[in-house]
Formats: sequence, structure tokens, C-alpha cells
Amino acid sequence: MAIGLYGKHISVGYGSLGGWDSFGPEREITRSDGNVLFDLDGKPALDLYRHYLGEHAAGLPATGLLFPLSLRYSDREDSAQKPAGGVVRTILGIDEAAKSMTFAGDMPRGGYVRLMKANFDRLIDGASDAARISVEPLQGQTAQLALLISCVGRKLVLNQRVEEEVESVREVVGAKAVLTGFYSYGEISPHKKGAACELHNQTMTITTFREN
Amino acid sequence: MHRLLVRQIRRLFGDVETLPARLNPLFDAISESYNQADTDRAMIERSLDIASQEMLEQNRKLVSELNAREAAESQIQWLANYDGLTGLANRNLLSDRLGQAIAGAQRQTRKFAVLILGLDHFKLINESLGYAIGNELLKITSERLGSCVRGNDTVARLGGDEFALIFLDSRDNGPVSYPTSIGADDEFEGHLVEILQRLLKTVSGPVILSDKELQVTCSIGLALYPQDGAEGENLLKNADSAMNSAKQLGKNTFQFYTSDISARIEARLEMQGQLRVAIERNEFVLHYQPQLDLCTGYIIGVEALVRWNHPKLGMVPPILFIGLAEETGLIVPIGAWVIRTACEQCKAWQRDGFGKLRMAVNLSVRQFAQPDLVDYIASVLKETDLEPQWLEVELTESLVMNNVEQSIEILQRLKQLGLQMSIDDFGTGYSSLAYLKRFPIDLLKIDQSFVRDILSSDDAAIVKAIISMAHSLGLMVIAEGVETEAQCEFLQQNMCDEIQGYLFSKPIDAKEMAEILRIGKRLPTKLLRSGEKKRTL
Repeated sequence: MAIGLYGKHISVGYGSLGGWDSFGPEREITRSDGNVLFDLDGKPALDLYRHYLGEHAAGLPATGLLFPLSLRYSDREDSAQKPAGGVVRTILGIDEAAKSMTFAGDMPRGGYVRLMKANFDRLIDGASDAARISVEPLQGQTAQLALLISCVGRKLVLNQRVEEEVESVREVVGAKAVLTGFYSYGEISPHKKGAACELHNQTMTITTFREN
Repeated sequence: MHRLLVRQIRRLFGDVETLPARLNPLFDAISESYNQADTDRAMIERSLDIASQEMLEQNRKLVSELNAREAAESQIQWLANYDGLTGLANRNLLSDRLGQAIAGAQRQTRKFAVLILGLDHFKLINESLGYAIGNELLKITSERLGSCVRGNDTVARLGGDEFALIFLDSRDNGPVSYPTSIGADDEFEGHLVEILQRLLKTVSGPVILSDKELQVTCSIGLALYPQDGAEGENLLKNADSAMNSAKQLGKNTFQFYTSDISARIEARLEMQGQLRVAIERNEFVLHYQPQLDLCTGYIIGVEALVRWNHPKLGMVPPILFIGLAEETGLIVPIGAWVIRTACEQCKAWQRDGFGKLRMAVNLSVRQFAQPDLVDYIASVLKETDLEPQWLEVELTESLVMNNVEQSIEILQRLKQLGLQMSIDDFGTGYSSLAYLKRFPIDLLKIDQSFVRDILSSDDAAIVKAIISMAHSLGLMVIAEGVETEAQCEFLQQNMCDEIQGYLFSKPIDAKEMAEILRIGKRLPTKLLRSGEKKRTL
């Protein structure tokens, strides 16, 4: 389904942020196939991931939701099309036999990844920051409609505090805006203003509308 | 509730239970935040831990790589300065040490000596016993050399079987002033002679190699600083000349460098240049020595012998230039000229009505190794129109024994041309009777050294044995160097077939030879084998 809106009176803004903390060194993807990651720095990715998770590894694959990876595309190939900034990749599953991990998006060979961890407050702050970015194009006027698309992963992580995410957006867009939206398995948006659209995981992605 | 929060509440408000229940959600939120901080810290600590372990691992790898690299570098450094086989200094390090010796000698106005030592007949050992044995001998020699020197002397291997030694004058009686009169009575030189004698003795001590006891001697050349050269290279070159001179003197000896040696070398080089142009200038001539049939007394053949008619020196005997010609390879064109000229002469005598004579020419090692030798001889025979049976090729025993299988092959090809073949200097080398049977030869030449003492020593028995053996193998026998009637009588009594020597004629030029043939000169009848005594053949 696609909806097109046009006209000189309509203003549209967008913002997309995760709010996850990266930690540990960057590691190169040395073997992968589509969205399946095999090796990092020449070693089995799953072993390395478990090593980092420590006691949290026992809860895999469910606990993987708390520790996604940030992906930075290789500097080498078609850098014009690939975004300079990182995207977040959620773990969908693991394969013990193949020592591989399956993600909710591509994991290209030659790209660089870092481990990420969830911090509830930062995730909520992330949603509020996404909202701030999304209202910038409205030049001080309040949004009339805000479309909130949040990753289902965030809902699982935030659990009872998931409402705070919507509340923090509400604080930014104002009480008059109509809020709508849903939890998704992936968000599509430019990472920053004017950039190409890309697939994100684990973000709050907001589109604001106003008709003058 | 997070234990930190419990402690804080207790400290500030007393028992948690006494606080209003509506504050509980706040405590939960704070507690969760504390938990979150714990998790964060644990994760970051683990991450740092992993990173530092990885760095340690990388560091270990780097250290081991660094060690391997340092070992390789020191190995390269070693190889650059030392000989891999013997562990002695190599030419490179020797050159450094020579520089140091010169600097030290200049400071203290002292002398030092540079020696070059070469093993005698090393090539023969390598070829007959194999390179592994040769290398073993070199190692043993290097150890022996090491035992003859003091700690501050240098022993180096230059390559092959050549070693160089630097002997410093470390006598305690103070520096000697130089230039002094340099004579054999000089104390340092006297000391050196002792060392040289010790070296000759030590190096040539018996050595067991591949179950054989060998005694390998050496030749040593020696140059002194400063009188024999002011620079290292110069000293080495002069010591080398002196060593070559020692080898020419019969090996197993030492020679001090003298300017005389370099004069001789220059003379040799000059002669080499002259030898090169001698072919173009047609300065070679052939002399012929008659070979006589002991049954008839008539000349049945001649041996062609090359002479160099030098524009200034006059007639140069072969002993003065054949060796040089062999070394330089000039023997090949000279030898080719000899074959052609001899064949032309042989045919010319035939045309002049002097009968059909056998023309013997000597083949040198280098000529024998020429791949086109057989083709060349065939073409000369064709061009000169000489029937092949009148050309005789003389080969020395040592030449054919050098590589027996190959020799047999070449000899057979020569034989197929229809030539006569003889073995020269028979009895002087390592003849193998087993091989002799396989060589397609017609004639054995008894070396003149046996003939010379034929009446006064047990050479008589050897000559008798050679003749009888040759006849039983179906070979004719010629004795060379026959000078007296007594020698001739002994030979004819013992059934020798032919003789050659001063008794009848020295080598003479073509004109004199034609004269002898014209008058039909022959051996006196009394020296001939009597009619009833037939050849044992």
C-alpha cells in the first residue's frame, strides 16, 4: 500500500533514532551471506557474540534483542549510495551448528559492526530526539499529525516502560498533534535530512505532517 | 529492590516498611535504573576485558614474529660474513679484517702476513669421491686451520678449496720500524716459516673419508704488509700469485710473494697474447719423428710434433706453450691446425713417391672434448684425400681414463672413420686392463720413462709384461724414447714391434724427413728381429 500527499500547503518532517549504546571495538565482517553473519575478523561471529554477552548468552536468542549490532558499511564499495552513519541490526536468530547469526537486514562483507546494549532511559531519550528532528522542518509550528513507527524489539525491551516512549514524543510534538502508529519489524527512513532512505531496526521513526 | 537502594533508604529513613506504599513505583524505577547501571558496567568491563585479552594475544604474536624476524636478521647478518659450510669468515668479513689489520699495523708500525692456502688436487677428490666427501674434507681442513692460529688471527674461506689467513705480528719486543731491510733473517718472517711448516703438516695429516685414508696436501702463498701491497685486495692478489707459484713448484709447499712472481705472470700473459696471434701469423710448424718397424728396419710411420717458430724467441718447444694453450683453450685451434697440416703432409709424401706412411697426431683433452671432433677429422680426410688408415690418433692414458664410458663412445666413432688409434705414455697412469680391452685401439706406446732405464732396473719386467699383454689383446707395441742400441736390442728380443727415438732420429722438419725417405734410411740389420722369431701376435 502506498499513499501520496502533495500540495504547496503541506509540510512533512521526519526523524529516526535508536538510542542504543555502542561498546567494544569495531569488527570487520569477513564472511556473510545476505542477512546471515558467519565470521567477524576471521572468527565465528556467534562465539565472539557469546563471549561478550557473558551470563546473558544463556538466554539466547531472546536476549539477543537487548544486544543488537551497529553496522557501518565498508568505506570501499559504492560509498556514494551507502550511508556514512551506522544502522542498527536486530538479531532474529542463531544457528549453533553453523555458528551463524541471522539479522533483520543485510550484513554485507567488508562492513564493520560494533556491539550495542540497551539502556532504557537512552531508548526513551532516543524517541524524544527523533521527535525533535521530525518537527524541525515545520519551522516552529506544531505538527497536526505524527506517524510513530517503533520497532517491536523496543517494545520487548522496554516492556512496562514502553508507554514512556510515546509520552516522550508527545512532550515534543505537543498536545494538539494527533498521534498514530504501530510496532514494526523494520523502519524505512533517511538517517538524516536529505539522505537516502534505508532500512533500520530498533528505532523510533517519526513522520510529522502539517497543512497550513 | 536493588540492594544499594535498600541500604540508602535504611540509612536515611529507617525501615523500608514504614514508608508510604505510594512511593513504591518510584523505588521500582530507581531500582531498575541501578540494575541497568550494573548491567552496563558489567558489559563494559567484559568488553574491556575481551579487548585487553585480544591485545595481549596480538602482542604475543607480535613478540614471536619479532623474535623470528630478529633471528632471521641475525642469520642474514651471519651469512653475509661467514661461510655457510665451514663457519669460517667469508670474503666479505676477510676484507673487513684486512682493513682492520692495515689500520692496526699503521698505528703500531707492525707487519702482518696474508696467506692463501689451496688444497692440492681438490678437484680430483670432488670428482672421484663426490661433493659430499669434498665438503667434509673442507670442514676438516677448516678445523685444522683453526687449530694452527691464535685468537686474533683470521681464518677465512674464499670459496672452493681456497682459504685465506691473516697473521698479525704480535711479538712483544716492541714495534718494528719499517721499511727495514727485508730478508729471510727477519724475525717475523722466521716466525712465519714456523707457522707455514706447521700448517703444511697439520693440513696434510691423514684423514679418513668414506672409509678411505687420504692424505691431502696444500700449497700456500704468502704476501707481507707493507712491502707486498698497501691494500687488502693487492695483498690477496699477490698471496694468490705466490700460491699458484707454490703449486707450479710441485705443490705441498709454500712460497713468499716476490716481484719475480709477478714478472713471471706478466710474461705468461704476454705469451698468451702472442700465442693467440701465432695461429693467424702461421708461426706453428710440424716436426716429425720416424717410427721404425723392428722386423724390416724401415720407417713405417711418423709422429707429428708441433713447434712454435716465435719471431723473436726462435723455435719454442711444446713444453713451454702447450700447457698455456690448454688452459686458455687455444689448444683447440692449434690442434685443428696440426691435424690438417699433418694430413696434407702425409698425402704430399705419398704423391712424391715416398710410400705410404702412418701419420700420428696427438689429441689434447680439450680437443677430445670437442663435440665436432669426429666430423672435423672426417672433413679434413676428405679435403686432403688421405685414406683414413694412414692417420693415427694418439691419446694419453689419463685422457681416456678420465671418463671411460664417454671415451669409448668417441673412440668408437673415430674407429668407424677407419683411423688407427694408439694409447700414448702407456704405463704411467692408472690403466685399467678391463677398460683397455674395450677401447678400440691398435697400438700401445710404451712410455719413454720405462725405456730409459730398461737395462738397469725392474722396468725391464714391466716392459716385457706390457708387450706380452698387448700382444695377447691383439695390439701392436711401439717403444718411444729409444736412444741406445742396447735398448733397441732388448726391445727386439722381447718382441716389441716398433721403436721411435733418438737412436734413429730426433724430430725433424718436413724437408729433412723427405731427405731421409728419399735415401731410404733404415735401422741396421743387426738390430732387427731375426726371421724365425715371428711376432707373438
